[in-house]
Order: sequence, then C-alpha cells, then structure tokens
Amino acid sequence: MAVCIAVIAKENYPLYIRSVPTQGELKFHYTVHTSLDVVEEKISGVGKALADQRELYLGLLYPTEDYKVYGYMTNSKVKFVIVVDSSNTSLRDNEIRSMFRKLHNSFTDVMCNPFYNPGDPIQSKAFDSIVSTMMVQAF
Amino acid sequence: MAQCVQSVQEFIQDSFVPMVAVLCSEDAERVTRKNSLSFPELLRPFCRLTSEGHLRDPNNQVVVVKGLRISVTGINTRPPQSPELHRLLSRTVSVCQPPEGSPANVFTAGDYDLNISATTPWFETYRENFLQSMPASEHEFLNHYLACMLVVSSCEAVPTEQFLKLSQEQHRIQHSGEYTHPKWFIPNTLKYYVLLHDISEGDEQRADSVYEDMKQRYGTQGCYLLKINSRSGSTGADEQMPDPWSQYLHKTSIHNPELYEESAVSNAVENNIGAEEDVEPHYQGFCQSVNNVDEMRPQKQASGTSHTSPTPRGTCLTLNDHDHIRQFIQEFTFRGLLPHIEKNIRQLNDQLVSRKGLSRSLFSATKKLFGGGKVPEKSIAELKNTAGLLYPSEAPELQIRKMADLCFLVQHYELAYNCYHTAKKDFLSDQAMLYAAGALEMAAVAAFLQSGAPRPYPAHYMDTAIQTYREVCKNMLLAERCCILSAEILKSQAKYSDAATLLIKMTSEDSDLRSALLLEQAAHCFINMRTPMVRKFAFHMILAGHRFSKAGQKRHALRCYCQALQVYKGKGWTLAEDHINFTIGRQSFTLRQPENAVAAFRHILINDSKQSAIQQAAFLREYLYVYKSMSQLAGDGSLPQLPLPCLHSSQTRVFFGHERRLAEGEKQAATHVSLEQEFDRDLSQLWRELEEQVVSVANRGTVPITFQPSQCCLNSQTDNLRHPLAIVEEPIIVEVVFRNPLKVPLALSALCLLWKFTLKDFSGPEDGTTRETVTLNDIIDTQVIPEFTISPEETKVARLRLLPHKTGELHVLGVVYNLGTGEVGDSEGMWLVCVAGSLAEDLMCVRGQQNLEIQGPRLNMTKEEKTSVRYGPDHRLDPIITPPMPLLEVFFINFPTGLLCGEIRKAWVEFVNVSAVPLTGLRVASTHPEFFTFGSATSDLTPVTPTAAEHCSAYKTVAMPPSVATMSLVSPAVFGVTSGDQPVVAEIPLSRGVLGPGEALQIPLWLRGPDREGVHEINFLFYYESTEKTAKSPKYNLFYICAINHRVLRHTAFICASRSLSVRATASRSNTLHSRERDTEEQQEAEEKNASMLVFVDVENINTSEAGVREFHIVQVSSSSRQWRLHKCINPVGDKDSKLTSRERGKLCFKATRCRTEEGGIVSCTTPCADFFFRRGLHSEARRGGVSAGGASQMQRKSHTPQSGTDDDWTSIVKKCSEVELDIIVLWKAYVVEDNKQLILEGQLHVALQTIGKESCSLSQKEETQEMVLLKFKPDVPPPLSKPSMEQLSHLIKTCLHYPESYDHPFPQKSLCMVPVTLTLSNCSLAQVDVIVDLRHKTTSPESLEVHGSFSWLGQTQYKLQLQAQEVYRLFLKACFFQAGVYNLGTPRVFAKLAQTSAMCETSQQSAMPALIIVNSI
Repeated sequence: MAVCIAVIAKENYPLYIRSVPTQGELKFHYTVHTSLDVVEEKISGVGKALADQRELYLGLLYPTEDYKVYGYMTNSKVKFVIVVDSSNTSLRDNEIRSMFRKLHNSFTDVMCNPFYNPGDPIQSKAFDSIVSTMMVQAF
Repeated sequence: MAQCVQSVQEFIQDSFVPMVAVLCSEDAERVTRKNSLSFPELLRPFCRLTSEGHLRDPNNQVVVVKGLRISVTGINTRPPQSPELHRLLSRTVSVCQPPEGSPANVFTAGDYDLNISATTPWFETYRENFLQSMPASEHEFLNHYLACMLVVSSCEAVPTEQFLKLSQEQHRIQHSGEYTHPKWFIPNTLKYYVLLHDISEGDEQRADSVYEDMKQRYGTQGCYLLKINSRSGSTGADEQMPDPWSQYLHKTSIHNPELYEESAVSNAVENNIGAEEDVEPHYQGFCQSVNNVDEMRPQKQASGTSHTSPTPRGTCLTLNDHDHIRQFIQEFTFRGLLPHIEKNIRQLNDQLVSRKGLSRSLFSATKKLFGGGKVPEKSIAELKNTAGLLYPSEAPELQIRKMADLCFLVQHYELAYNCYHTAKKDFLSDQAMLYAAGALEMAAVAAFLQSGAPRPYPAHYMDTAIQTYREVCKNMLLAERCCILSAEILKSQAKYSDAATLLIKMTSEDSDLRSALLLEQAAHCFINMRTPMVRKFAFHMILAGHRFSKAGQKRHALRCYCQALQVYKGKGWTLAEDHINFTIGRQSFTLRQPENAVAAFRHILINDSKQSAIQQAAFLREYLYVYKSMSQLAGDGSLPQLPLPCLHSSQTRVFFGHERRLAEGEKQAATHVSLEQEFDRDLSQLWRELEEQVVSVANRGTVPITFQPSQCCLNSQTDNLRHPLAIVEEPIIVEVVFRNPLKVPLALSALCLLWKFTLKDFSGPEDGTTRETVTLNDIIDTQVIPEFTISPEETKVARLRLLPHKTGELHVLGVVYNLGTGEVGDSEGMWLVCVAGSLAEDLMCVRGQQNLEIQGPRLNMTKEEKTSVRYGPDHRLDPIITPPMPLLEVFFINFPTGLLCGEIRKAWVEFVNVSAVPLTGLRVASTHPEFFTFGSATSDLTPVTPTAAEHCSAYKTVAMPPSVATMSLVSPAVFGVTSGDQPVVAEIPLSRGVLGPGEALQIPLWLRGPDREGVHEINFLFYYESTEKTAKSPKYNLFYICAINHRVLRHTAFICASRSLSVRATASRSNTLHSRERDTEEQQEAEEKNASMLVFVDVENINTSEAGVREFHIVQVSSSSRQWRLHKCINPVGDKDSKLTSRERGKLCFKATRCRTEEGGIVSCTTPCADFFFRRGLHSEARRGGVSAGGASQMQRKSHTPQSGTDDDWTSIVKKCSEVELDIIVLWKAYVVEDNKQLILEGQLHVALQTIGKESCSLSQKEETQEMVLLKFKPDVPPPLSKPSMEQLSHLIKTCLHYPESYDHPFPQKSLCMVPVTLTLSNCSLAQVDVIVDLRHKTTSPESLEVHGSFSWLGQTQYKLQLQAQEVYRLFLKACFFQAGVYNLGTPRVFAKLAQTSAMCETSQQSAMPALIIVNSI
C-alpha cells in the first residue's frame, strides 16, 4: 500500500498530496517533486506520434533506499505519483496499475463536479476516501 | 558537474605526477630562508615543464612527454592524518566562496529560469587538496618518491662531506626500516646533488670549483649548481617583482594543521604564513640544528599574522634567478629524472620478460595446487581477508604495477594500460582485492588518457574499483579519489546521469563535507543533462545544503538552499518552499545576515502556508526572535517593516469628523456619514448632485469651478485625486484592514498611526511658513490602541484616530505596533506579567511599522496610459488641516417612521452649532422636496415649542358655514416656491441669519406622507457656511482657496407610507345655459356660457389595515387654478362631513366656473397645506417632460395668435380647447386607533385636472411605478409628430341652440309654423377658426329622413363663418314645421378647422345634445 499519493497539475504544482502522517510529510513533498523530472524524461522519451497512444501508466519512476516511486500521467498531463515502501515486496506491478486506475476514476469524478474549479487544490471527500483506501493504514 | 578550469586530461595528469624528495642541509636551508621560502617551495612555481621531454620505451619507441609536472616536497612532509585532513579540507572549502559579483549564468529549463554559478571553485580546491594529501599506500607507487635532491650550500666548509652525509641520511631513511613514512618507488632512488650558491654572500669561484669536483664525483647528470639570491635582501623591495609563489603557497598551508582556525567563516584573505612552516615541524625529529630557525619562527609568525599584504617572498631573487631555477628543474628532469625513469622501465621490463615464462607457469601451477586464487606465501586463514593482503615489496606482481605506474607518470599511457591490465589480472587471480582495485582504477584512467582511444573508456572498471575500495577494503579515501576521477571522466563524455549516480553513491554518513560537495556536483550534473532535470537539481542541492550545514559550512549551505529555492519558489510546493525558506532564514541569521533572515522568515509567514498551527507558531516565534535581535543590532533607526498581519492598504478608509451621536433622548440625530456605512456609488452620485444643486443655489445659480463635493469618508472607490480637507480640532479616523494569514492568533499592542506633519499657518499672509515637525502630541493627538488581537485567519479592522491641533499638511505614513504571538494568555505569560511588569518586555514581541501605500486607480485617459499600466495618485491619507469651520449637528424630534399617503405630520428639527465658529447660509436640499416643509416665512401661528403642539391639528380650523365657498388668493412665492427657483433647495431661516457657536435652533417641520405607498428613502443635505468667506481674501495663497468653503451634513430618513384615500376627479363641460341668470352684458354672458364645468370627485378609502384606521372624513375640498374656481358642492347628502370607512367610496360633485382674474389662488392658504400643495409633484412633472397646465397656459398667453404656426403649435392650440387647469386639494381626517388610543391624523391629497372628460387620480400613474425597464440598445424612435386627434379637433366649437321649449301654433289657421332658433357658436380655441354650418338633413340615412323629414330649415341652409378666438357668434335660423309634434332641432352639423391650416379639412364638431321642441297645435 502506498505511503504517499500525489496529484500534480499540468503546470507541475500539487493539486493533492497526502502521505502517511507518521513519516515526514516534507520528505514526500520533495520526493514527489523530484519525481516530476523523471516523469518528464519518460514523456519526452516517447515520440510525438506515439504520444497519443502512449500508455498512461509510466511504471516505476525511480527507487530510493526506502521507497519506490511510481508515476502515471493522464492525457491532460495531470500526473499521479504513488510512493510505496521498498520493503513492501508483495505489491506487484498490476496492483500498482489498478491503484492508478482507481485514482484516475476518482479524479475524473472530481473533475466532473461542476463546482470544482480546475486548477484548484482538490478538496473532495470522495477522493479523500478513495485515497485513504489505498494508503497504508497507520496505526 | 560544474565546469572546471582545467580540462579532464590536465586534471588527471596533475593528479599523478612524479614525486621528488628534497633533503636539505642546514646551510642550504638558511640560503632559501632569505626569501622566506623553503627549498621545495622555492622550486614549486617552476615545477611544470614548458618544453617537451623525450624518452624511449623498452621497444625503443620515442615517447614524448608534454607538460610534465613534478612534485618536489621535503622528505619529511607527511600527509596529514585523517582528522587533520578533514579539518584542513573543511577549511579550504569554507574559505573558498563564490566571488560576490560573479557572473552567474542564467539557466533556462522549461519554465524555470535559474541563476546558477557555473563554476564551483570550492570543489576544485577541495579536489586538488584532497588528491595531494592522499597518503602513500602499499598497493600503488604513483605517489612514492622517485628521486631525492640533496641540497647543500656552497658556503659550507666542506660541501662534499655534507653531500655524503645527506646521502647517507637518505639511504638510512629509505632502507633502515626505521621510517615507515616516506615511501620510495624503487630501491635505488635517484640522488641528485644540488649545490646551492648564494651569490650575494658566497664566493663564486669556490662554488664553481666545488661544482667541478661534484661533476667528477657524481657525473654531470647527477649534480647541479644552482645560483640564487642575486641581490641582497630588501634593497629592491619597491621594485615590482612577479610573485609566482602566491598562487601555490596558500594552498600548501593546508599542511599546517596548527594554524587551522575553526572560525574560518570570515571570508578574509588567507594567512600565508603557514607556508613557511611547511616543512619545519617534521624537521624537529631528525635535524636538531634547525632549532635556531625554529626560534625565529614565532616572530615571523607574529609579524605574519598581523600583515594584510602577504610577506614578500623571493625578495632576494631576480628574474634571472627565476630563470636559473627553471633551468635547474628542466635540467633535473630531462637529464636526471627522465633517464632514470627510462632506465627503470627498461630494467623492469627486462625482468618481467625474463621472468615471464617461468613465473606464469609457476603461478598457474601453484594456483592449481592450492585450488585457485591463493598466493603461495600466504596462509589460507590470512587469505580470507583479501583486503589486507600485502605483497612483499619485491613481489613480481608489484613489479609490473611499478612499471605501469612509471609508464603512467611519463605519459606512456598505452604501455601503462597494458601493464595495469596484466597486473589487474594477476591481482584478481590472487584475490588481492586492494591491488586489483588500484590496477582497475589506473587501467581505466590510462585507457581514458590514451590519445588515440583505441578502446572505449571502461567505466565498469571504475565501478568495480570503487565498490572494492568501499566494501572490501573499507578505504573511503581511495574510493573517493576513484569516484572523483571517474565522475570527471564521465562528465567529459557527457555521461552526466552516470556521473551523478556515481557521485550520489559516494555520499555517506562518515563525511558530511564530502557528501555535500559530491551531492552538489551531482546536482550540477542533473542540470547539465541534455534535458535538464531541474527538480532533481534542486533536490540534490537541498541535500547538499543540508550536508553542508551539518559539516559547518554555513555559507555553502545557504548558497545551496538559495539555488534550490529558485526551483521551488512560487510553484505551489509550499511545504518544501517553507522549509527552504526557514532554513535560509536560520542560516542567514547565524551568518549574521539578519536582513536575509528576516526576508526569508517573512516569506514563510506571508505566504498562505499550509503548515500546521504549531509549525506556524514556531515560525512566528523564530521570526520574532530573529527580528528582535536584528532590531537590537540595528539600533534605534527607523522602525523595521513587519510582515504581519497583512495590511490591505487599498481598503483603508478615512473618515473626517466626529463619530456620530446616534440619539439623545427622543432626539434623533442626522444619520450623516459613518464608517459603518458601505459605499454606494449611486448614492454618492446622488449626494453629489444634491450638493451641487445646493451650492449653485448658494452661489446664485452657478457652481464655482473649484467646487468639490464634500467627502467625509474616503475609500477605494471615492475620488482621491485631491488632498482631502480636514479641520483642525476635528478627528480624523483611519480605518485599517488587517488580515491574519496564520493559523495562530496575533497580538498587536500599542497600535497607532505613523504620520508626518508639515506645519502651515494659514492665517498668516505669507505662505512660506512651513516647518517639518516630529511626532508630538501637542500637534496631533494620536490614539493608541493598547491591545489588538487578531484571531487565526481573521480579517479585522482597526480604527485609529488622530486629532490635529494645528493647521498644516498631514501625511499618514503607516501604522506602528508591537507584534507578538497571541499566546500571552497562557499561564506562564500571565505570571510573567503579574510578577514583574518589566519582564513583559522580554515576551516575544517586536516593535515595527507597516507602511500604508495606496495605489491610485489605474489611469486610462491618454493613449500612453492605455497602453501601459499606470496608476494615479491617491491622496486619501494626505489630508490638509484647515482652520476651524463651523460644525452643525441636526436632530429630529418626533420624526415619524410611518405615514399614511398624504398624511401631514408635524415634527421638529433642531440645529446645533457645536463648533466655536458661527455658521450661516443654512440650506437644505432633498431628493424629495415635496415631502417636507419648514413653513412659510409669514406664518407665525405655529406654537413655539414642539411639546405644546403635540395634539394640535396641523390645520387651522376656521369656523365657517358649510357649503359656502370661501376664496382667498395666495401666491406660491409666499411659500418659497417660485417658478424660477430650484424647488429642491430650501433655505432655513436663522435668527439674524447666523447660528452662533453653541447655539441651537428648533424649528417645526411639516412632513407629508408620500403619495405612493411603500418605503421611501428620503435624503436631506444640510448645507452651511462659515461666516467669513475665506476664498475672497486675496491675501490667502492658492493652497487655501481650495480649502473648504462650505460644509454639508447628510441625513437619510426612511418613511413607510401606507395607503389612505384614493381621489379621482373628472371634469365635464356643462352644456347648460344659464338663461335664468343671464346678465345683460354681452361679454359677461359669453363668458358664463363658455366657462362652467362640473367636477366630480370620487373618493375611495383604500386603506387596508382595518385595525388601524377606522374611518376617513373628507373635511374640505379646495381648488387651485388660475382660471377656475370651485363653487358650492352639489352634494346629495347635504352639509354633513362625508365619512368613509374601510373600502367605502364616495362621490362629490362641484361646479367650477371660470375666474375673472387670471391670478391663481388657493383656498386653504395656511402654512402646511399650501406649502405642500405648491411643492407637490413638481419634480415628477418636470421629469415627465409633459406640458404642465400652468406652463401651457402661459405660453398660450404670450403668443396669442401665432402667425405661422407649425403643427406643434396647432396641436397645442387644439389641445388647449379641452384643457382645464384645476387642482383640487382634498383635506381629510383619519381616525386611527393606536395602542388603544384614538388619534386623529390629518392629510391632504392633490388631484390635478388637466383635460375635460379625462379622469385624474391622486395616486401617481402606474406607468411611473414601472421598475423593470427593458434594456434598449437602440434609441427610442421619436414619437411621430402628434397631430391633433379627431376627438380633440371636435372640441373646437361649442354649439348651442336657443329656442322656445314649446311653441304653440294654430296649424288649422296656418299650415306652416315658423319658429326662430338661435344657433350659438362659441369658439373654444384661442385661434381663428373657419366654421361651416350645414343645416341640411343628412341624406345618408333613410331613417333620419323619416324622423326629421317633418321639419325643415328655412332660408340659407349652409353658412361659412370665421370665428375669432373665443368669439361667440349667433346664427339666427328659422325652422319650419308642418304639423304639431316633438321635433329634434339638433340637426345642424358644424364643421370647423383652424383658419391658418389649409391642409386640414374641416372636422365635424361634437353635435349638441338632442334639442327637442314641442310644437303644439292650438
């Protein structure tokens, strides 16, 4: 399960960041922010023609000593970043994928809310609860 | 990785250079000492060879050695031990700071523009020092001494003996085994004998002879005579000599650990004295004789420490000497060193070749024997720890490595690579990991340096080497060296990503400095990538900054954080940004850069931070602490600017004048303006118009050009282009809007305004009396708010008061306050305050200010202003204090809130002059002038005090017999309403025209409920002036002219009007003939006939509140007209009051006749009634733009017979015929039950009759109430030129038949009966009318023939007449009857048209009523 889930706007500012409260929030902010470089690298690696059919899931962005950072980018260039604990070896790529898909669906719902102003930080209870289900439950 | 000064090749070559030891005799040392240099130091600047050297490799190939550098050090120079090394490196790094104004290159990546220093000189310094201070190790020979210079002075008694001594010494050091430290490359080290000759002292001939002797003894290639010190001492000190040592010697200072100071923070110039002690400490161990030199040292040091410019070095050396030294080195290298190396390579090669076959087979045999990978000399147990494996120095494996190193040093990289490669294989097969790693490292480097590059750079060699060094050998120094080299090589091949990975891998917990530097380099790698990774750069910069700060390198830490901040700034990553800012703040503070610290902290606090409340509180406390210490440092200058709370400057409001008194007993004060009111643009426009009107009235009809509407309350929407005027001794209230962006409360204390005041004396004639003054309370009282707490995330306004005591110019600059955390309320704080009041100062709070800078509105007038963004001035906060002015207060007594429509109520108004200056010219303007009246000047029948009048009727009741109409003439002028006057403005009578200081005046005020129901907002504007007209005096300066001429007071009243009566009136023309009252005079008769009218007044009680109003009584009906007057009431009920309860209706009928005089009149001519009558609805009529009755009649009279009229004129003329101009005033009484008390309310309603036959109503027409107006984008089509309608035209001529009602005729006698009939034609219009009278029966309808056929008109049956205006014409006709019966005589048809309008055809006039005549037969 994830220790940090972030939604980053097209312009690379955070729309939503939630991390396990037991660990330093700041650290995750840095991690997620830094991962954007890798996202950009991955995106620029794909040719322009292929950009349309490219897969949204970007896979493992980079591993750090303690965490693995996975990325996902919607067609509107909104990025999702999920940080999982490196020790959590049970997580398979498929599970990460499904987490992203769930996140994407929920994010779409947020976008469909007529009262949501695109570009604002996400403050949605539904989205929050979806994220909570994916987060490591900190006891 | 940052750009370096050196190229990679240069860097690597310089990292591995041949090492030469120096052993100096005591005398020789003394000779060099003269130049404040030791012998190795003396040589150092000249150690790079400028010319090419040559040598032959074992295959007799010539190898060219280019740009070779040799390293000459004292034999006892010992690389510093690890802790020392750390300190030294740390010091060099901290000393090396980026130059202040270095051209930082702007780096653009995506949407980031970064300002990054391209070079990192501190890293280069570190690297150089690090590599130089690498301890010599067993497994490699690169930094082992290849040769040794033995230096002896020529002034020695027996130099040859000395040489011998030194040679023995060297031999002892190398071979006795006592010394572990200086490591030697090969057993038979090259000894080079140098005779140092001091030209200024020694005997040159002797030196030469000694040299000759030496040549004989050591061969020409093994010795040298170096002549230096051509001049003595400081003689030529003033001469400018190049100082080649300066750039070398400060670096060597790292070898002097004693001088290392922890407080290296100061970026001062490095002390160079360390250079002198370079070698000395180590001498003490083996050369006691140097003691006296040692004695000298402290003094030198003392003189050295104090110097600002470095001690002059090489003072005894001339440029010639420099050349000598250079030549010496060249000689040494080419004649001594390189041949020595060449010889050794050859020797080693021979050894290896000869041993090859044997050793290979032997090795493989032993390997097989021992199961692989085991060195025969070592036991199995020892081999486990392969890292600690040591070969004996003469081991064959080391020979090849030795050869490789030699080749490497003389730049024969190809051979070196081959040897390294071979050595690597051997070491690996022996599992001698340290050796293998060394060989791998050097193999990679050699491969890289091979100019032809036959093979790619083997990066994996380096990786393996680093890994081995780190993990197997646990030798971080070697790993680091390897890493630095590899990263540098990778960088040169643009493999930034690999370099960064390598560098990051190398960071570890054991050395913060190294980690910091490497991380920084890694960050630079990221930014230099083909697609720059800005965020990675920033992140690694932060990591580097963190490590720097851990390593105590605060400046570098700060720099790293600052560079990283550029990426994070303003991108929404607030948590990270705050963290960086916080760190920058702290670092800046510790580095004594309080401004930066404050700025950084300020940033954290100002931003809408997402931090938790606790975190914010911590930030705030830290900020306050930093701030406090900074302000203490700064001393008592101007107060610092505080960032918190946020000040919304533009929302600042300024109010001039006293706070309003709401009510005093039953007195109700004028609402005026207060800060509580919201600004309303429409309303302010309305007030402005009112003020303009009243000012124009006061100035006899013109508005002066200097007119400026009074603005008591200034805000962002008011016009603030001019300096507002404030009056001395009247307060100025500034409302400042604070917002607390934090989640913690803020406590402000001692909050007050900051201002600047320029004294100006306006009473003086000259205008030069200006003085700058300081904040003194005798000039301006400044209100101080002792406590002002703002809760978390709250927006709160503070009202700050100033009371000026002097005239002049005031500038409100800002606010001053103490800022503290809002946590004073906790127990500890309370305790502090309670126990010792003085301690309260220690609580965290700082005094500072915030400026109020208000930007004016954006200018958009000229093209220039439109194309650029410019803002106008805003002088809201710069009032001019003018001399005293009168100040009026207005109170209302018994002012109602609800009225019936048309109800008359009496209230009182009190004017009080509260200033010390008399006031005059009191006027009032109102949006609803018909609503109130102060009574006419003539009426003095009102009671004097309001209390006495409480139960009196507003009307004066005059006892008179009912149904007798009284008539009195009143002119509207008496009631202050004249046609030319602005009815909006009313003058208020003052006794003697002046209201003195402190005086009060109470006058009655009549109010009349508005005609329409609903809530009405009624605005009063009271205008008054000072008694002295200031602007008229020419003495006053221009500045003063714009001062206040008048003042105003506003009042807004809300009146709720409820329905009372609805009065409808109709007038109809009477056709009756007043035959019985007929006068003899012709004219009189005509008038009478023309001018009588019936007026029906329909009164309905439409009041809906049945509980309140019981009944209405019609008390009186009056009329006002210029032409008509009401006669007695034709009332069926008789004389009784007509009474109407709820929903009842009544009808009254009056006769109206035309007045003889043309003067208007009103019957009820006393004050309230007449006042309101004249004030009624003038406004609305004027707005309607219609032709008012009075106006039209006047116009008519002026142009009696328009000669050439347009259609319009005709229209009006035609209209006029059917117009009446009669106003009816209905006075009523209502019996109201309120609180179980019966009250009698009185009121009046007005009806204006305009057209005959058309109903008029007291209520305003519905069309006016229309509130929703459709938006129209096109201008209205102008109404078509109104032609008089047929209906109107048919009213031109009034016809009347006069005949006997019955006529007796003896038909039997005379068959024909002739009856005379008079047809009176009366021209109603004021123009000439052509009339055609046709007597013939209509032939069109057969019935009429039937009916009327029985009689006929005799004589002329068709007449054409012309009637003058108002003319009455009688036409005498004869009707002829044939038999008795009842006949209708009304058959004549009258056609009329206006005489001048040829185009129009005649219109049939309204036929008279059926005129029946009875013809009796007798």
